[in-house]
Amino acid sequence: MEILAVEDMTFTYPKCSKPAVDGVSFTVDSGSFIVLCGATGSGKSTLLRMLKRELSPLGELSGEVRFCGKPLAELSERSAAADIGFVMQSPEQQIVTDKVWHELAFGLENLGVPQSDIARRTAEMASYFGIGAWYGKDTSELSGGQKQLLSLASVLVMQPKLLILDEPTAQLDPIAAADFIATLKRLNQELGLTIIMAEHRLEDVVPVCSRLMVMENGRLIANAPAEEVIVSLRERPDILCGMPAASRLYAKLEEQGRSPLSVRDGRKYIEENFFNSVRAVKVEKSEVSSTPALEYKDVYFRYSKNSPDILSGLELKVYKGEIFCMLGGNGSGKTTSLKAAAGLVKAYSGSIKVFGKKLKDYKNRSLYRECLAFLPQDVQTVFLKNTVKEELDEVGADISGFPFDFSGLMDKHPYDLSGGQQQLTALAKVLAAKPKLLLLDEPTKGLDASAKLEFMGVLRKLRENGTTVVVVTHDVEFAALCADRCALFFGGQIVSAGGPAEFFSENSFYTTSISRMTRGIFDNAVTVEAAVELCRLNGRRNGSVSDKKPTSA
Amino acid sequence: MRSFSEYNPIVIAVFFFSVAGVVMFSVNPAFSSVSLAGAVLLFTVMNGRKRLKLHLWLFTLFIILALANPLVSHNGRTVLFVLNDNPVTLEALLYGVNSAAMLVGTIYWFSSFTHIMTAEKLLYITGAFSPKISLVLSMALRFVPMFRTQAKKVSDAQKAMGLFKEDSIIDDIRGYMRIFSILITWALENGITTADSMTARGYGIGRRTVFSRFRFTAADIVFLAVNIILLGVCSFGGMNMHFSFYPDITLSAEKIPAIAGTSAYILLVLMPVIIETEVTVKWKYLQSKI
Repeated sequence: MEILAVEDMTFTYPKCSKPAVDGVSFTVDSGSFIVLCGATGSGKSTLLRMLKRELSPLGELSGEVRFCGKPLAELSERSAAADIGFVMQSPEQQIVTDKVWHELAFGLENLGVPQSDIARRTAEMASYFGIGAWYGKDTSELSGGQKQLLSLASVLVMQPKLLILDEPTAQLDPIAAADFIATLKRLNQELGLTIIMAEHRLEDVVPVCSRLMVMENGRLIANAPAEEVIVSLRERPDILCGMPAASRLYAKLEEQGRSPLSVRDGRKYIEENFFNSVRAVKVEKSEVSSTPALEYKDVYFRYSKNSPDILSGLELKVYKGEIFCMLGGNGSGKTTSLKAAAGLVKAYSGSIKVFGKKLKDYKNRSLYRECLAFLPQDVQTVFLKNTVKEELDEVGADISGFPFDFSGLMDKHPYDLSGGQQQLTALAKVLAAKPKLLLLDEPTKGLDASAKLEFMGVLRKLRENGTTVVVVTHDVEFAALCADRCALFFGGQIVSAGGPAEFFSENSFYTTSISRMTRGIFDNAVTVEAAVELCRLNGRRNGSVSDKKPTSA
Repeated sequence: MRSFSEYNPIVIAVFFFSVAGVVMFSVNPAFSSVSLAGAVLLFTVMNGRKRLKLHLWLFTLFIILALANPLVSHNGRTVLFVLNDNPVTLEALLYGVNSAAMLVGTIYWFSSFTHIMTAEKLLYITGAFSPKISLVLSMALRFVPMFRTQAKKVSDAQKAMGLFKEDSIIDDIRGYMRIFSILITWALENGITTADSMTARGYGIGRRTVFSRFRFTAADIVFLAVNIILLGVCSFGGMNMHFSFYPDITLSAEKIPAIAGTSAYILLVLMPVIIETEVTVKWKYLQSKI
């Protein structure tokens, strides 16, 4: 049954010449799970907001939206609020009240539902989501993932027929994001809830969706099951770069057919189609200098007397001119180790040396002048001014050599930029102090795939100029592509470290999807490029399109 | 079997305002001494041996208050001794002791009150009068910690960027002012998303209900009824007792209302202690059966 129909919708913001949404038509069957993707600024958010009457922006609109056969404008206030649920991006800001139970009850209170019904429905929702344990807590005590789950639950408690989500996992770490998506999948399968979700982290969500819609410049350029969309977009690397690894591999090797989406299907595809006599590609060892830029020696840190150690006996050397990625779970001490190096928290035992000089010997804040810079996770905290230009002028940033064009952004407020633009602006601002050692905390959080590639390019350029970069990240794909060395943090210390190819092929869970896909077939393929190269070298089992015949079977 | 702090917040508030109100609106050593004793007893029952420091502080305060009055006021007939040509009288001393008992007792009541009354309970009480104010308060309580964390994050980020370049106070203050200004922008920006999230969930479409986790149970009603009856008897007794310190200590009272009033006040003050003891005893009994 059709639950939502959009007919030839065109929407233009006031004072804009180009429409933000341009002639979009589609229908949504009840019970489907639709993923909407597209580059930043392609009109995804605008389209989604047009589907929720209370959030529709003002502007010039033509076309029609029908919800359950009725035009959206004719729905009663109550039905418009309750039947269409909307979850936004920011976990922090969409929470209204101070207590978890109150947040759950908020929507029902607005609808004037009687007390006893509210009690039943919030209790039911809390137990379905496993919120019971923190039902009485303050909302400010929750982690980002918990906050987002709470926002979802507090929308679902109103029993919507259609759930719209606008990049709900953008601010979450990959583990919390995967949990969130698993919950959505469960809602879709167990309750038959119709879901429309805009997303740019597609790895987890594409395998579970029933249809994939792609937007570009306000137009809908694809609307079909994901397997078909991927093949039809194989000439568009800018869109494909966000897709699951299995489908990126497929798109590089095939010209038609149905693309595999999950690791399991990707593995099957490689096993069935390619020989594996050539097991490994040669890895070029990059030259690393032997002078340490940052050195931790037996460092211990805890927040207060009675709390557990966050860093316990951390030993690490980062050499000059390398990109070093630290990976690890939440609370393993990654971020704290950066803060300790930046002098924001003080280790109670052990020593930290920056370029061979102990931290406490950098007197008068000289550490932050032409030596070390720290870019925090929430880059918005870097901005203090009203326009990008003022931001950059304030610190005297030299952007002429920066491999990114800021000219279009100069007059905008930094808060109005997209995640990727904010990240690069903040980076440019931090680089104004000409640091030789750059510390980055989760720089790829909230970036779409193409922004991530752009950011990687900037980091490589910095390395060429001799800057040492230490990155704390959850993003294994990012680390595999850009690191010279990677390390795994656990329990406040480094448990293993090495070049990305060996590091990720030794890990069996904490590794890239390609590494999981090719485990036992190839030896050290951790990136799509490496896997594609190996597949081409080995050739096909049916021998039809092969670049090179296998030497042995 | 609920302990006192688990009773409905309105009941708890009525209780504390009754016990404190009676002493505050009467000048009567009978009431103030009962109030002080009861307040200390409840505080000890609730906190055990913790917060001994507070006892020490309040004891010092008691002594200071009691001694301050005879040094300032020289009314009264019975002169104890003369200090710097000023007579120090027994009446003034007793007056001081009485007001000290009243004040320190009230402080004890309020520290027990704030201990029991969490923000959530206060919001529930406000909600009973005005749902809108209650929601605004709840949002404020949500906002304050968020603002504080953001302020810390911004100041850390700026520090690591070398915003505070020299070790000078003026530079630091200038830096903090800039941080404050961007925090305001951030808060406004925040407000837009929060407002969107509210309208998306139907805020403002009609009459709101107020949901809370507190219920009125039979025990609450019994407590409230007993509380009000005892308070009535107390006020009746209080109105029939006239106590004056100056120039002589005199008590003009009718016997029966005075005794009834005082005993009612003793009972009122002891209500939470009785409940707490009952709970403890029951637990002990249940545990010994297990």
